Amino acid sequence: MSTTAPDEIAPDEAALLAQFEQVLARHDRIEPRDWMPEKYRATLVRQIAQHAHSEIIGMQPEGNWITRAPSLRRKAILLAKVQDEAGHGLYLYSACETLGVSRQELTEKLISGRQKYSSIFNYPTLSYADVGTIGWLVDGAAIANQVPLCRTSYGPYGRSMIRICKEESFHQRQGYELLMTMMRGTDAQRAMVQESVDRFWWPALMMFGPPDDDSPNTAQSMAWGIKRDTNDELRQKFVDMSVPQAERLGVTLPDPDLVWNAERGHHDFGQPDWEEFHAVVKGSGPCNAQRVAHRRRAHEDGAWVRDAATAFAARSSVESVETQEARA
Amino acid sequence: MSDDHESVYDGLLGGDDTQWAFGTSFEDPLAGVDTTVPEGVDAGALAAYCLMLGDDALVHSHRLSQWASNAPDLEEDIALANVALDLLGQARLLLARAAAADPGLVPALPEGSPVPSEDALAFFRDEAAFRNVRLAEQENGDFAATVVRLLLLSTHRLALLQRLAASTDQVLAAIAAKGVKELTYHRDHAARWFLTLAQGTEESRRRLLAGLALVWPLRAELARTHPVERLVAEQGVGVDPATVTDEVDVLLEQVFSVSGVERPGLPATGTVAGGAGREGRHSEAMGRLLAEMQVVARAHPTGLW
Amino acid sequence: MSAPTATGSDVRALAASVTDPSTGSGQARVRALASSVTDPEMPMLTLEDLGVLRDVAVEDDGRVVVTITPTYSGCPAMATMRDDLVHALHDAGHARVEVRVSLHPAWSSDWITERGRQALRDHGLSVPGPAPRHDGPVPLTLLPVRRDLTCPRCGSDAVALTSEFGATACKAMYRCTACAEPFEHVKEI
Repeated sequence: MSTTAPDEIAPDEAALLAQFEQVLARHDRIEPRDWMPEKYRATLVRQIAQHAHSEIIGMQPEGNWITRAPSLRRKAILLAKVQDEAGHGLYLYSACETLGVSRQELTEKLISGRQKYSSIFNYPTLSYADVGTIGWLVDGAAIANQVPLCRTSYGPYGRSMIRICKEESFHQRQGYELLMTMMRGTDAQRAMVQESVDRFWWPALMMFGPPDDDSPNTAQSMAWGIKRDTNDELRQKFVDMSVPQAERLGVTLPDPDLVWNAERGHHDFGQPDWEEFHAVVKGSGPCNAQRVAHRRRAHEDGAWVRDAATAFAARSSVESVETQEARA
Repeated sequence: MSDDHESVYDGLLGGDDTQWAFGTSFEDPLAGVDTTVPEGVDAGALAAYCLMLGDDALVHSHRLSQWASNAPDLEEDIALANVALDLLGQARLLLARAAAADPGLVPALPEGSPVPSEDALAFFRDEAAFRNVRLAEQENGDFAATVVRLLLLSTHRLALLQRLAASTDQVLAAIAAKGVKELTYHRDHAARWFLTLAQGTEESRRRLLAGLALVWPLRAELARTHPVERLVAEQGVGVDPATVTDEVDVLLEQVFSVSGVERPGLPATGTVAGGAGREGRHSEAMGRLLAEMQVVARAHPTGLW
Repeated sequence: MSAPTATGSDVRALAASVTDPSTGSGQARVRALASSVTDPEMPMLTLEDLGVLRDVAVEDDGRVVVTITPTYSGCPAMATMRDDLVHALHDAGHARVEVRVSLHPAWSSDWITERGRQALRDHGLSVPGPAPRHDGPVPLTLLPVRRDLTCPRCGSDAVALTSEFGATACKAMYRCTACAEPFEHVKEI
């Protein structure tokens, strides 16, 4: 791609670095054509790619229910949501391309397991209530993670996060509304909602990443303004936000240690099973293999279509040049 | 900057919780629309006709939605979901219109069931009561077969809806006028892919021709006039599908000729005991499609979604 | 579309005044209140800016009747828009609110107001040009839609289409080849 390689154009790297750090200190944005340290670029690529991959893999657990949605209104909402996720993925891959990495390259890394996506999607969706729970808790946690990124130092990423957060908050609201509606339905539906919340609560808490004392990348990312809050800070915000929502909904969060701490002004809560978290991250969650295999199959099955489009585009541009020459 | 950040955060996460718990009741997609059947129009025929148009959209939408996360690239995931969503929106309006015109069509549900009529029609009708053409319900096949089907269905539907925008039934006329804008995107998208696959690689051309051969024979059913269609056309609320075939042929011919593909000379797919989709006699794929589509709704006949 | 409008922060002030019978006719205030409700997915736009809000009337019996037009047939935000309108008006003391759907004439991107267009630009979105009009059969377009756009970030006209369909039905995706910014364009319909 056309992005400048810093190694080639850095006669005085120290000066450039100083300038870069001044931009960060002012909380201004770094833009694609600006000089940036190679490690900053690499960290961003890793983070944005992981985010894009999460959107793409995230289409699967929800897409699993499109054809079985129990009402036409819910079917429309779910289909639109999955479409949104594809759109966000595309948007984020475009943001990554501004850093000089192609979508093709990133896709290869995803389907060969060399780049990660959010571990939450390695859990299965087992009932229609899961569609609501994913909206409420999973999108809720994603928003809590992403809102601070609206201020992230890299311009295209920050601006894409602003738009994505707005759309995600609509998803969260729709998910909550589905659960609320089901809770007003039959006993079987209420049981379905509770069972779903029981399954997703702990994985949702894991979405903020390991505890701060076990999070190796946090310090550098915060110094660079790529990350704005620590994992534990965000997790606390999420719990504090979710408790009253769960009460309103009429479900019980499956944590016996969850209690309001008036002194701290926050809820105390139990820790997720971090061994399970590490196992899922390393690839042995319930759906890791299935999710990647699905993505790989779709990609490989579509190769002939992409090839056709490339060949057609090449031919069309040759023909249009020839037409112009013939006219000249 | 940090104030800005906090306010975004509060706006999303805090704020007015009551808003979220609000509006958990279903409302008809035709809420507030005057659904009086025009004078001199057979309400039963109008309803049956709306089911035909609605079921075509619903079932085709269902098939297209199966591409979500399976398409050749992200752009196409989005495009096919978008088309499916437009068709689903049209189906909802048409099923609601059918139910309003003839409530007798709506399957009976247990006493006190909150299931709205559009969902009763979609999820609690049996296969033989569905009125879509068989072309809409076929399994997707590969991307080429999906493109050919989308081209054939959307070219036909666009021509129909353009005329239906002049229906004496104001509701149907409005649904159709809206649909014209959407169908134009669908048809042109399919036509571009048809051309791309035909002129792309050897493999894509081979697959396109195979898809065309597979799908084309089912096309005849679209132009076969059902007595209900004849009746609603006579009454000025519907369109006889036979009257759009010339226009559709001209358009398809444009696509074929620019793509260097010959119009297939294949005979029409046979009927079953003299009937086809419009009579509720479907292909084997339909039963499996409905089994999947209806499973959750039917497990909770008094459920609130 | 020339009724007075209110920004989001004015809603509560308005709500308070609407319930006060001494403050003038309810009609304009109710209109202003409904006009201030925002689109759930593009909250920088009010429903009035978007052209979805067609009419607001206070009936003789005190009922508020709001008329809206869907953007796309399958737009999943319609129910949410309806809920938000009812909620905003309830909060302002209007117990009986009816939201009617008007399907005719069909919504067009031409209905997005000048203020709405400015709000879109301010948020980095590219605004739609005039919607296409057709009499007779809609002609086939085999080339990708060509639009004369400029990058909402740097103003360059060196832009390339990424995808004709974007995250939501109403948007296409572009990127600027000058400053590299990916951006969304609200489509003409």
